[in-house]
Amino acid sequence: MHQNLLDSVSLLGQQLVNGITLGSVYALIAVGYTMVYGVIQLINFAHGEVYMMGAMLAFTMVTSFKISFWISFPVAIVMCSILGILLDVVAYRPLRRAPRLAALITAIGMSLFLQNFALLIWGSQIKAFPRQTLPAVFFKPAVSLGDIVVTWLQVFILTVAVGMMIGLHAVIHHTKVGTAMRAIAQDKVTASLMGINVNRVISFTFAIGSAMGAVAGVLVGIYYNAIWPTMGYIAGIKAFAAAVLGGIGSVPGAMLGGGVLGMAEVMGAGYISSAYRDGIAYAVMILVIIFKPSGLLGKSTVAKV
Amino acid sequence: MKGKTLMKSLALGLLVLAFAVTAFAADTIKIPVASPFTGQLASFGEGVKNGAMLKAEEVNAAGGVNGKKVEIVLGDELCDPKEAANVATKFAADSDVSIVVGHLCSSATLAALPIYKDAKLPAISPASTNPTIGKSSPYYFRNVYMDDFQGSFLAKYVKSVKGWEKITIFYETNDYSIGLKDAFIAEAKNQGLKILGTEAYTNETTDFTPQLTKFRAMKPDALFIPGYAPQGTLIVAQAAKLGMKVGFFGADGIDDAMMLENPDAEGLFVTTPFLADNPNASDVTKAFVKGYKAKFGVEPNWFAANTYDAVGMAVEAIKNVGADREKIRGYLAGIDSPGKAYVGVTGPTYFDANGDVIKGAFVKEIKGGKWISSQKQL
Repeated sequence: MHQNLLDSVSLLGQQLVNGITLGSVYALIAVGYTMVYGVIQLINFAHGEVYMMGAMLAFTMVTSFKISFWISFPVAIVMCSILGILLDVVAYRPLRRAPRLAALITAIGMSLFLQNFALLIWGSQIKAFPRQTLPAVFFKPAVSLGDIVVTWLQVFILTVAVGMMIGLHAVIHHTKVGTAMRAIAQDKVTASLMGINVNRVISFTFAIGSAMGAVAGVLVGIYYNAIWPTMGYIAGIKAFAAAVLGGIGSVPGAMLGGGVLGMAEVMGAGYISSAYRDGIAYAVMILVIIFKPSGLLGKSTVAKV
Repeated sequence: MKGKTLMKSLALGLLVLAFAVTAFAADTIKIPVASPFTGQLASFGEGVKNGAMLKAEEVNAAGGVNGKKVEIVLGDELCDPKEAANVATKFAADSDVSIVVGHLCSSATLAALPIYKDAKLPAISPASTNPTIGKSSPYYFRNVYMDDFQGSFLAKYVKSVKGWEKITIFYETNDYSIGLKDAFIAEAKNQGLKILGTEAYTNETTDFTPQLTKFRAMKPDALFIPGYAPQGTLIVAQAAKLGMKVGFFGADGIDDAMMLENPDAEGLFVTTPFLADNPNASDVTKAFVKGYKAKFGVEPNWFAANTYDAVGMAVEAIKNVGADREKIRGYLAGIDSPGKAYVGVTGPTYFDANGDVIKGAFVKEIKGGKWISSQKQL
C-alpha cells in the first residue's frame, strides 16, 4: 500500500515536470502570437515557421558548419529576429491600411512559403541534433528524487523561458520602446502623432516575438530530438490556441495559456487517454473560451468606434 | 547567318528527338509503383524505388517484355490514405496500366484497395502487413507476411529467446500498428506474457514523455513499439532520457537506417522479412544483394527486396498473358502452390486463396551502431 502511494506520487511528480516543460515551450511560442496581435491586431500565421526556422538554422550551424551550440543558439535567435522583421516589411507593412483579412491571407501565404522553402533546402525527413554536438551536461539529471528525474536540459528550458518572460515584461513596462508599443496598441494614429515611429516599433515587436519563437524551436529540437520543415504547423496551432486561452493580446496570458495547455495535454495523455491527448487539450481550451470568451487574463474589450 | 543555321538545325534536331521519345514512350509497358517517396517515411520509399528500378533495368537489359521496355512510374502518396486514394484513382483511370505495385503503408493500401477493386486492376503490395487486405479484394495480392503472423512470432520470440515476462506496448493509431498490437496481445496470452499496459500516439506527436512516464511506473521488462521508425527513434531516445532501462523491440516498420543514428537504440531488435547478410541465402538472393550494393552503395533493405520480387512477378504475368487486367489477376491467382511458385530473392513465392503469401520472419538487432542478424532465429 505504502509503495503504491509512493509510486503514484512519483508518477504525478514526473508528469508535472513533463507538463511544465511542454508548457514553457508553448508559452514561448504563444508570446510571439500575442505580442503581434496586441500591437497590430494581426494573427501572424507565419510565426510557427519562424519557430521551425530557428531549429533548422541552429541545426545547420551545429552539423554542417561545426559551430559550437553556445554560439549557434544565439546566432539562430538573431537570424530569426531578422526574419521576423523581413516578414513584417515584405508581407504586412504594405497592407497596413488594407482590410485586416488581407494581411491574414498574406500571413498564411508566408507560412506556406517558408514551409516549402525549408522543404526545398532541408528535405522532408525528421532530423535530430547529434548528441555529441550538444553540451553533455544537458542529459545529466539535475534533480533525482526517487523516480522523478529532472535533467539539466529541462532546467535550462524552464530557466530560459522564465528568464525571457521576465525580460519581456521589463521591456514592455519599463522601457521607452515598451511604452511606445503599448501606445500603438491603444491607438496607432495618435501614437504616430505623438512622434512615435510606428513602423520601427512594429518591427521591434516582430523581432522580439520571433526571437522567442526561435528559442522555443531550438529547445524543442533538442528536447524531443526531432526537427522537420512542417514542425511549425502543429506547434503554431497549439501555441495560437494557448494565446487565445490565456487571452490574446496579453503577454502574461500567453504564458499562463501555454502552461495550462501543456499541462492539460500531458495530464490528459497520462491519466485519461493517450490516443485523445490533443482532443483533451483543445477541449480544455474550448471550455475556457465558452465561460470566459476573452481568455483567462484577457480584458473584455469594448468595441472602439 | 551561320549562328541562325546552327539554331535551326538544333531546333530541328530537338524536334526529331522529341518525336522519337514520344514514339518510344508509347512502346513501353508502364508499371506504376506507389509508395511514400517524400515525407516522414521517404527512406522506406527509397528502398521501394531502388528495388523497382533495379528489376526494371535488368529486365530491359535482357530485352524487355514481349519486345517492349518496362517503364516504372512512381506514385508518391506520403503514406497518407487520402493521397493514396488520389494516386490509385489516377492509375485506375489509365488504360495503359494493367497492374500496380504498391502501396507500402497498410492504411494507404486499405484506402487504395476499393478503387483498384472497382477498376478490376490487380495490385501487389510489397510491404503492407495488415491482415484484412487480402480478404477484402480478389485483386489485391501481397509479397509480405501478415501482422497476425508477425505479431505472434514476436510474442513467441520474446518469451522463448529473450525470456521477458512483463511487456508494455506503445502503438500508433493506424491500421498497421493496431493490427500488429492486437496480434501480439493474442499470442502473448498463449505464451503467458503479462501485458502491463498499452498506450497510443498519433504520427504528428514528438512528445512521448507522458505515456513513457506511465510505462516507467509499471516497471516492465521491455517496451514493444509496433510503429514506424521516425517515431520509434524518438520514443527510444525519450525513454532513455527518463531513465528507463528496458528492452526495446519492434517489427518491420522500425527496420530503418535512421534507428542507427540513435545511440540509445543499441540492443533494439525487430522482425524483418529479409536479411541482406543471411548466410543461408540462395544464389539468386546473393546475386541480388551484390548487384544492389554495386548500384546503390548500400545493402538492400526488405522494402527493396520485396519490391524487386513484386515487380518481377508483375513482369512475369505480363509476359505470359499480356497486358490485360483480368488475365493478369487470373495468372497471379494461379500461382497457388509451392510447385508453381515464383522464385524470387525473398524465396519461393506463391499465394493462398486470399492472395496472401506464406513466408518466414527473421530477427535482427542493433549492435555497435549496425543492423546485424540475431544469433538466435526462430
